[in-house]
Amino acid sequence: MRSLKGSFLTVVLLTCLLASINAVCQELEPFNDRYCTTCHGADGRGNEGVQAPRLAGMEDWYLIRQLENFRAGIRGMHPQDIEGAAMQPMAAKLSDASIADIVEWADSWPAEPAGITVQGDVVRGEKFYAVCATCHGVHAEGSETLGAPAMAGQNDWYLVTQLKNFMADYRGNHRDDSYGQQMRSMARTLGDEVGIRDVVSYINTFAER
Amino acid sequence: MTDYVSRREFLTLLGVSGGTAAAILAGTALGLLPGGAAAATLDLQMAGTEQRRIAILGGGLSGLTVAYELSKRGYDCTILEASHRCGGRIFTVRNGDLIDEIGNRQYCDFDDEPHMYFNAGAARIPSTHRNILAYCKKLNVELEIFVNENKTSYVQDKSMLGGQRIRNIEYTTHMKGFMAELMAKALDQEDLNAPFSESEAETLLGMIRSFGDLSEDDLYRGSLRAGYATGGFLEHGVQKEIIAFRDLLKTPLGRVLISANEGDTGPMLLQPKGGMDKIVEGFLAQVGDKVKYRAMVASVKVGENGVDITYDQDGVRHPLQADYCFNCIPTHLITGINNNFPAEYVSALKYVRRGEAYKAAFQAKRRFWEEEDIYGGISWMNTPSLQIWYPSHGIHQDKGVVLGAYDYGGGMYHTRMTQQQRIEAHLSDGEKLHPGYGQLVEKPITVAWHRMNHMLGCSARWRRSFSRGWSYEEETHYKTLQQPVNGRHYLIGDQMTMHSAWQESAILSAYWAMADFNQRIPVTQA
Ligand SMILES: Cc1cc2nc3c(=O)[nH]c(=O)nc-3n(C[C@H](O)[C@H](O)[C@H](O)COP(=O)(O)OP(=O)(O)OC[C@H]3O[C@@H](n4cnc5c(N)ncnc54)[C@H](O)[C@@H]3O)c2cc1C
Repeated sequence: MRSLKGSFLTVVLLTCLLASINAVCQELEPFNDRYCTTCHGADGRGNEGVQAPRLAGMEDWYLIRQLENFRAGIRGMHPQDIEGAAMQPMAAKLSDASIADIVEWADSWPAEPAGITVQGDVVRGEKFYAVCATCHGVHAEGSETLGAPAMAGQNDWYLVTQLKNFMADYRGNHRDDSYGQQMRSMARTLGDEVGIRDVVSYINTFAER
Repeated sequence: MTDYVSRREFLTLLGVSGGTAAAILAGTALGLLPGGAAAATLDLQMAGTEQRRIAILGGGLSGLTVAYELSKRGYDCTILEASHRCGGRIFTVRNGDLIDEIGNRQYCDFDDEPHMYFNAGAARIPSTHRNILAYCKKLNVELEIFVNENKTSYVQDKSMLGGQRIRNIEYTTHMKGFMAELMAKALDQEDLNAPFSESEAETLLGMIRSFGDLSEDDLYRGSLRAGYATGGFLEHGVQKEIIAFRDLLKTPLGRVLISANEGDTGPMLLQPKGGMDKIVEGFLAQVGDKVKYRAMVASVKVGENGVDITYDQDGVRHPLQADYCFNCIPTHLITGINNNFPAEYVSALKYVRRGEAYKAAFQAKRRFWEEEDIYGGISWMNTPSLQIWYPSHGIHQDKGVVLGAYDYGGGMYHTRMTQQQRIEAHLSDGEKLHPGYGQLVEKPITVAWHRMNHMLGCSARWRRSFSRGWSYEEETHYKTLQQPVNGRHYLIGDQMTMHSAWQESAILSAYWAMADFNQRIPVTQA
């Protein structure tokens, strides 16, 4: 009984407390949302140390779509999507103007291909890739029309993580994420992690490094 | 592994394994005393006419140490600091301060008073950490005692005594009593006590009895040490009712309660008056003019004769040429900076994991804990919030800042929550220790180090396995990173010690690097 009363009290008080927090959240100094490089590295080159992918060279339309998806809770809500879950609260704060500003900033970064860290069976990977090529292009150059981003030059460890996440339903499980849903079933065709590594090592052959 | 050894030692001590135990041979401990209590000396030569330019990447404590020591010796130091403040993980939060968590910016709204602050990173200095203490003295940083263990604080676990809180002193007194009873019984048996002479056994038994406050017959029947139920001054004190051994065993917190003041927190602990960042202020009073703020390092290229650095400030990329570079940027962020480090150096940088520590604090509307005989110290609860710290300072003032959660090992549980969920969790945990807690506290702040801008982590984790110690691979990576690239680029910070998460370590890493640097530069003159 006592504890029930206690928790009711907590709820009531919490409401007041939260009201006072929001006041504190008002900005006391001008700032922008150009936080990207803390995680994604200098010039958005990607940082394996915190598993944040290369943003340099990412297409504007893809960046916008993903930022909007994160913001709307369409991506990054699954607790097992560790990095997505770190990105989501950041994106949740972004205004349309901030997103436009970030995309403009990202355009200024030189898109150098990321280094190779994943080894696999390239021949086997090429066979797997046939189905990917339909949307992502034969050289993994991407297609805006089909809504499929370029993968050539992207951090290979990131591609591995994302394919694993699609395969395990950690990404692409939201009903409003039609592209993600498509990727979930495509990722399954790779079978297992070995297949993922194989296809990624084939994608690695497209980037000049 | 450690478990095994200590258990065997225990049995050996009791004579169970037979033979004469090394542990009870006289004199084995002689000669093991540590050396004198002096701070490390830093014997560095003055700068010559060339090779004077020093770039310091990151304004963490180790970077500030290098700036201070080398500037004093005539070097031309520049500190590049990505954030709006120096100090990194030395972070004292006060009225108006920005807590720059990515995705969860907060401003602190505590009352604007000198004692109303929160040490969101480093908070306590053991008296054995000589070098940080020596700097406090040199930089006129006033210190006061930090109360860590407080026997009047509380222990609470929903599995113990129906979730009712008890005082730390009750828990530990009874637990020690029961443990002593077991030990006394063991010593009582003729065969077990064989390795001891009669007088040794007598001394040992005396200690065991005193440890547990046993009664004449070597049984534990409760103790006045656990506090009086009534009386104690004008009337006879009445002993509190004993708590059953089994009940105490319901909580895993016993382990931390019995060892709270051992190891690093064994020595007397200290804190700077007014907040841990008084140390940072002390350094900045000497080298503040050398810091460039919001200057984020973008590339580091080490050459034969120097280091070329670029950094972004106000949307512009600037170059900085230096003869030597000392870098305290966390390893997991360096991997995101353009560099030309050797492959094995990069692999080592990538090997180190980042810590996840999480803290939260509230402003208390009144010092309710003092009304319950608590002055400083820590209450423990078996909930994710884990601890409540009562400030050691500002005693008898109207208000104070309490730590409402500290997860030093994990932290992701709260980090993954929204700000509102975090606060809700701490309030409901705290309610179990202090009924009406939600009404007693206000103005929450949370500091999730894993998400803090330009840190994205707490302390470096070198070891994949805590129980097995450092692996050969880890030692190799460590040695790789300790060596300067081309003799020009030094990695520093507590990450470059085998004892991360202490300010003393950050300073000692800087000392190691400066001593090595000193040997490489041309000798100026005697
Ligand atoms: C929760 C917590 C509790 C702790 N408790 C204690 C304690 O009780 N006692 C104790 O002695 N120690 C404690 N510590 C540890 C202590 O705070 C650290 O050991 C010490 O402050 C680390 O100093 P550092 O020199 O390694 O630099 P850090 O503090 O790691 O500073 C690194 C600096 O690099 C900057 N930086 C990052 N990226 C860039 C870039 N690209 N360009 C330029 N600059 C960049 C950062 O902004 C930061 O200022 C605690 C730490 C934490 C987080």
